[in-house]
Amino acid sequence: MKSFSWKSALASPAGRAFLALLLVLAAGAIFNADGAFFKIGTHRDTLRQASVYGMLACGMTLVIVSGGIDLAVGSLVALAAVCAGKMAIHWNWPWWQVVPGCLAVGLTCGAVSGWVTATLRVQPFIATLSMMVLARGLAKFASGGMKVSTAVQNPDGSYRYVDVPPLFRAIDHRILGGNLSVVTVIFLVCVALAWLALSRHRWGRYLYAIGGNEEASRLSGVPVTGAKICAYAASGLFAAVAGLCQAAQEQQGDPEAGSGYELTAIAMVVIGGTSLMGGRGGIGLTLFGVLTIGYLDKILSINAVPEAGRLVLTGIIIVAAVLTQRRGRT
Amino acid sequence: MSTPSSLVRLRGITKHFGPVTVLRDVQFDGLAGEVHVLAGENGAGKSTLIKILGGIHTDFEGTIELDGQVVRPRSPMEANALGVAVIHQELSLIGPMSVADNIFLGRTPTRGGFVQDARQHEAARHWLHQLELKLDVSQPVERFPVAIRQLIEIAKALSQNARVIVMDEPTSALNAPEVNTLFALIQSLKQRGCCVIYITHKMDEIERIADRITVLRDGQWVGTAPAADLPPPKLIQWMVGRDLGEQFPRHAQHLGEERMRLENFTVFSAGLSSRPTAAEVSLSVSSGEVLGLAGLQGSGASELLLGIFGAYGTAVRGRLFLDNSEQLFTSPGQAIDAGVALLTNDRKATGLVLPLSITANVTLAGLRALSPGGWRRPARECRAAEAMTTPMRLRAASMDTEVGVLSGGNQQKVVLAKWLQTRPRLLMLDEPTRGIDIAAKREIYQLVEQWTTEGIAILLITSEMSELLTLSDRIVVFHRGRVTAEYSRSESSPELILAAAMGQTASV
Amino acid sequence: MRAKLFALLVFISLAVAGFGQSAKTYTIGMSQCNLGEPWRVQMNADIRAAAAQHPELKVIFNDAQNDTLKQRAQVEEFVSAKVDLLIISPKEAQPLTEPVARAFEAGIPVIVLDRAVLGDKYTCFIGADNKKIGKAAGQWIAKKLGGKGKVVELKGLMTSIPGQDRHTGFREGIAGTDIDVIFEADMKWLEPDSRKEMESALSRFDHIDLVYAHNDPGAHGAYLAAKAAGRDGIIFVGIDALPQEGVAYVKQGILDATFRYPTGGAEAIETALKIFKGEKVPKKIVLGTRLFDKSNVATGGEPLP
Repeated sequence: MKSFSWKSALASPAGRAFLALLLVLAAGAIFNADGAFFKIGTHRDTLRQASVYGMLACGMTLVIVSGGIDLAVGSLVALAAVCAGKMAIHWNWPWWQVVPGCLAVGLTCGAVSGWVTATLRVQPFIATLSMMVLARGLAKFASGGMKVSTAVQNPDGSYRYVDVPPLFRAIDHRILGGNLSVVTVIFLVCVALAWLALSRHRWGRYLYAIGGNEEASRLSGVPVTGAKICAYAASGLFAAVAGLCQAAQEQQGDPEAGSGYELTAIAMVVIGGTSLMGGRGGIGLTLFGVLTIGYLDKILSINAVPEAGRLVLTGIIIVAAVLTQRRGRT
Repeated sequence: MSTPSSLVRLRGITKHFGPVTVLRDVQFDGLAGEVHVLAGENGAGKSTLIKILGGIHTDFEGTIELDGQVVRPRSPMEANALGVAVIHQELSLIGPMSVADNIFLGRTPTRGGFVQDARQHEAARHWLHQLELKLDVSQPVERFPVAIRQLIEIAKALSQNARVIVMDEPTSALNAPEVNTLFALIQSLKQRGCCVIYITHKMDEIERIADRITVLRDGQWVGTAPAADLPPPKLIQWMVGRDLGEQFPRHAQHLGEERMRLENFTVFSAGLSSRPTAAEVSLSVSSGEVLGLAGLQGSGASELLLGIFGAYGTAVRGRLFLDNSEQLFTSPGQAIDAGVALLTNDRKATGLVLPLSITANVTLAGLRALSPGGWRRPARECRAAEAMTTPMRLRAASMDTEVGVLSGGNQQKVVLAKWLQTRPRLLMLDEPTRGIDIAAKREIYQLVEQWTTEGIAILLITSEMSELLTLSDRIVVFHRGRVTAEYSRSESSPELILAAAMGQTASV
Repeated sequence: MRAKLFALLVFISLAVAGFGQSAKTYTIGMSQCNLGEPWRVQMNADIRAAAAQHPELKVIFNDAQNDTLKQRAQVEEFVSAKVDLLIISPKEAQPLTEPVARAFEAGIPVIVLDRAVLGDKYTCFIGADNKKIGKAAGQWIAKKLGGKGKVVELKGLMTSIPGQDRHTGFREGIAGTDIDVIFEADMKWLEPDSRKEMESALSRFDHIDLVYAHNDPGAHGAYLAAKAAGRDGIIFVGIDALPQEGVAYVKQGILDATFRYPTGGAEAIETALKIFKGEKVPKKIVLGTRLFDKSNVATGGEPLP
């Protein structure tokens, strides 16, 4: 039984990710914008804003641990949002049809990405880049290039206004006395499911093994192709959840949504401490990464830091976080 | 009488890895013009000592003297510049780069920044020629088999004109003629006044080339003596600290019913449209039997095992029978489910997932059985892994240690544990004791003995003749993918086997 | 003999030309820099609708997918195909100036929409003035607040000219009043970003009178943030006034006012017709804007000079 030492705990990947978060929170306490940082509403909003990205980061962790990458998730957010808009607003489907419908779209696209990379042996970067373009195209095609909103066009060119679907209202809603967003709860459920899969399920162990040494895994009987396809399908599924939440929060399905979200998701995973090479990392680390970037963004926002400054600061902090991670390994 | 001066002198070398002290106050003298063998069990510290001399570990206590000058190389490049070249057990070649580029890595001949390919290629060919090797030096190194890569590594060290040349298990992937060439080369290095520091576990090699022998045990210096003063029994005693008795006895035979049979089995490892690497192989092995597969480089024995295991998918022809029922494995998973296991000859590339823990690696092949319904049971996995590794005397800080930081011998034990964990009825071993010290080898021989009493059928590939003769009940010899001879244990001898492996059917 | 042949040829070509003239259709090439933004989709729709009223016009639409080189190639294709008129909404001024100039010199009239090219080798530029619109918004806001109040400004991408113009115009419009811009942020035209910035503003300031966003999606995002926070009574003003977005938001009571950023599509066709009739057209047509607020949204808004 190893004895617990503070030094080694802080030097571990989780320890360092936690330290990074602490530093950001400390910065927030110092630059608190006339006390705004200490209001519970600010924390609720930070979590709400970070949740959609966080859902993407959950799926991204699974894919990165297996040694791959998924660049399509941003476009899948848009595709799912457009589908959600069409299904819930235009076609008036009940929630128990909208939700599976959106999830099915994300799952299918993800599975296709996975199939192309695992079975056709196309590099994940290229395969998911292609899906990124394809999904964005499908989103624009399905929506006719316009946002799918509560303003529905009549055949004669005029508009009628339908209600915001109850599903959307239920998602873009606050509970616990207005102190927690439903979207945040959905995000935490995603975290729990992803963690269970990665840490407690055989499939999760397979993903680590594949990311660590694909050939050795294959020769140990690991079903490499199937496991990889499932990883990308799961990533698509999480992207669909994110897209549904995005649509609910905008009350419309925007085919331009999610642009660049995949990079934020990757940054969150990397800052958390999961290695882009695969084989190391986990959901717990990603959660730290999500919070770190989420709080950083909020602190810059409440202090009304000009845009150029935000980009520079965020870039510096991402580099610093990655550098502190590397020192732990000889 | 003048004492020849030490070319290299190490004093008081101490190294810690965190809480573990790997070397404690070690001393070493290397003279010019000698072959100095560095011997010791697994984990004795030999590789660490060499890495310190070679500039890889820079954080240590003690002094290094080269030609009377105290030095402290801060990188392998600096060590090379000081005249020290190290050929590691774990090869340091860069796969996708060409042979020539690898040999001259860091010393690429350039003119105005542009690489002079022609000059580089010619020089590379020159050094390879010294090893009697003719290669297309523009090909990427990863295209060549492990044995050739080892020779390229040696050529690289030679081209650095070093005076202290360290070789860590250089013959582990070489066949007999290649070993002869290497030893001749070592002799010429001696004559040039170099000091060759040679690490090996093979007794016959030590007997052949050692001038002096230094023994390390558990990170400490035990002693240094001329080879004549250290016959094998005494050497082993120094290494293990206890008398191991005579040479390992031949294992008892426990033959049962036929376990596996191949009929005209052919393997197309490079795809169906190319020449087969193993052709029309017919053999059988019974339960409790050890069938040795002998062969030189390119004999196809390793590929045969991979083909049986399903690693080449459908690129195989012929018939396979397991306990008299016909099988065809198109994936390793199928083979494992049917009770077949394969330990490959390259543990780092195809045997282990280096970032994962010992437990994770040991339970990888049998994970389905350990996780009914898909959910893992960590406690059960720990118990299963420990049950496998404890009898093998695996030395590690904890079962959660990343296997990437373990020594070569311990890594090999992890892979063996993984396969035993699947309870195979046919166990195929490809170089199971490569890079393992003598005491650990004995442990594995004992395990083989035990496995045969349990009725497991074993196919064994090994390039160590004594190991082959000790363990095998029968020996089948391969040459260029075909079986050229078969000998029972009483009939076999090193000469017969070598002859058959080189394609000559000998008359007894 | 040769003279007779020549006369025959002249006669035939005149006859053919005469035939062509009586049933003359005009082919217009329309090069759109991208169809990613709904506003540009609207521009094409406006052109299509205006052209549909005139059966002698045939418009060929090309989408350059936001690629400058592609747009250059498309312009050159139109020139080779000898279209009767070119309408172009360029991605960037500098790289498209030369192809447009070559078309113009080849005798093809060129109408430039929304974004200008450099120099003067084109027939007519039609565009709106974001500064004017911003100023109109500022003036409306000043009037609505009675010259005094706390305002949040949510800006579009400030590295773009429209963003800068809508900002400076607005500041001009409220100059000299007691209106205090207590919080401003760059939300890059995006609704989720706008919502996030509005949440920050809400948590910092207990009292906000009005939110001025550089586009309607931005205003919508801010509205949702305020609604979720239970902060009623804030006035929301946006710009663009697309029929299914900004105008719809005013009708639904989400926005209090929005200002049309006209696409110029209909005006382009009007101008094209004038050119075909041989009339002289001005070098530059600056489009006015239209205010949509609760009082006039049902009647199609109110044009502003």
